Amino acid sequence: MTRKEILISGFGGQGIVTAGRILGHASTLQGLSAAMLVSHGTETRGGYVRSQVVISEEAIDSPIVEKPNIFCAMSQAAYNRFFGISRNGVILYDPDLVKRIGPPSPTYLAIHAGAAARELGIPMSANMVMLGAILRTLGMISDECMKDAIAAISPRFTELNLMAFEAGYRT
Amino acid sequence: MRKLFETGNAAITEGAVAAGCNLFAGYPITPATEIAENMSRRLPQTGGFYVQAEDETASLHICIGGALGGLKAMTATSGPGYVLFADPYGWAIGSEIPLVIVNSQRVGPISGITGAPGQGEFYLSRYPTHGGNFETIVLAPNSVQEAFSMTVEAFYLAERFRTPVTLLADQLVTDGWASLSLPENETELNEMGLKVVPRSIHPGPIFYPPTDEIDVPPVVLGQNTGGACSDWTPTEEGYDTEDIEDQMKHANRLIGKILSHRDLIDRHESIYMDDDPEIVLVSYGSPSRVIGSAVKRAREAGMSVGCIRLKSLWPFQDKLFERRAVYLAVELNVDGQLVREVARASRGEVHFLGKCGELPRVSELIEAVDCLCDGCELKSKKWETVVW
Repeated sequence: MTRKEILISGFGGQGIVTAGRILGHASTLQGLSAAMLVSHGTETRGGYVRSQVVISEEAIDSPIVEKPNIFCAMSQAAYNRFFGISRNGVILYDPDLVKRIGPPSPTYLAIHAGAAARELGIPMSANMVMLGAILRTLGMISDECMKDAIAAISPRFTELNLMAFEAGYRT
Repeated sequence: MRKLFETGNAAITEGAVAAGCNLFAGYPITPATEIAENMSRRLPQTGGFYVQAEDETASLHICIGGALGGLKAMTATSGPGYVLFADPYGWAIGSEIPLVIVNSQRVGPISGITGAPGQGEFYLSRYPTHGGNFETIVLAPNSVQEAFSMTVEAFYLAERFRTPVTLLADQLVTDGWASLSLPENETELNEMGLKVVPRSIHPGPIFYPPTDEIDVPPVVLGQNTGGACSDWTPTEEGYDTEDIEDQMKHANRLIGKILSHRDLIDRHESIYMDDDPEIVLVSYGSPSRVIGSAVKRAREAGMSVGCIRLKSLWPFQDKLFERRAVYLAVELNVDGQLVREVARASRGEVHFLGKCGELPRVSELIEAVDCLCDGCELKSKKWETVVW
């Protein structure tokens, strides 16, 4: 059973959907099956956003993430809402955005995504830092497919996004 | 083959282009707006026309006009727009005008919630207009890849049966993203089992033969002996009539051409049905994805369960439910629509599990199956559902 469930959630404008698209595109290039469901409030910025990504070597039946192997929390509200279903997975969170974390049962990894992106001078690319950290935890997808996917989805900012992605991968 | 990671909306657009669609008229509505956006980019590239209509009624009238001018036309909407098609939909059925209508269902009634999936138009797609005396053809994809292939098939059936075909999708299918393989030429398209029927023109004079035959080319105004294609009952030659005998002949043709060639339309998928399972889950569209996972897990746990997924909804495939079993219809509504047809067509015990605006979970379905295995009744309190 190779099915992996990844949940990325935060608020509008953080690139939650873009991160999911790149992950799905890279999986497809890798020859895997991928599916993503996106849900969000009606606001375009500042509202709640969630990307549910499923990656598998086989065809995917249910596209719903029920027990994420990886949960990436990009806001306190997202963390509060989904940490309960993530107890058996790895929770990646940005400590600048998620200040209160709960019981120590799941594996937590603090990723200073916002700070790392600001340090590189590209604060908008915090999602790419997180993506690097997700890939490091997930495996399954080659570096090359990931880079091709970043170039395909964000052709204008490929170089900058790759820098942010690598910073996340190294953490 | 091109490999992409795309939405169902993008897949429908590419399916239409692959099928030779050269007119799209539409009015934006979540979750189908992206189809209009994509069409406005793609059709000018392929020599087609994109028309931004002032509302949904106009959209379908424009499609009818284009089809009568020899174009392969499509429109796309959600429930609140689909209901506005009632008038022109009937015209397209009655005058036998081929075109494709996409409905990405969202939760209702009326405007409901834009970003939540629904399955409220199961019966509306059977009776999309007034007056009776007709059958409809409705296909239902459950994935991004099927959104592509079924759009091609919808055009294929529309041309061969000379009738509007509805692609009844839902918000999760059209807004959902997935890996998508796109053929790069007609050979690759054919290798996927898909065919394109080019538009042909009826030479006249018998536009409406009093038979069940299909593959009768449609009227193209100005290109033949002059079928009127008005919204009145036509004579065989396509002129308006008030003769009851003509009316009977025409009504029988509208029904007979579909029912007597239904082998070309009927589509379904059976999983774990070979060993006559005691419990059979029935669904269409995105709930069937979760059911696929649930049935596999329930089987591993030793439960006698299988599932039938309808890929074509209308005409309804009664023969799939001839076997005596306990049927559980799973739908994205809590009033129960598909379940009523299953109850009518089947000889077994029929249950219903409905969710409103979100998919049931795998665990929830397994619990329901487990309960039915024990001979329990599904209780509305326990399941947050209505038992039909």
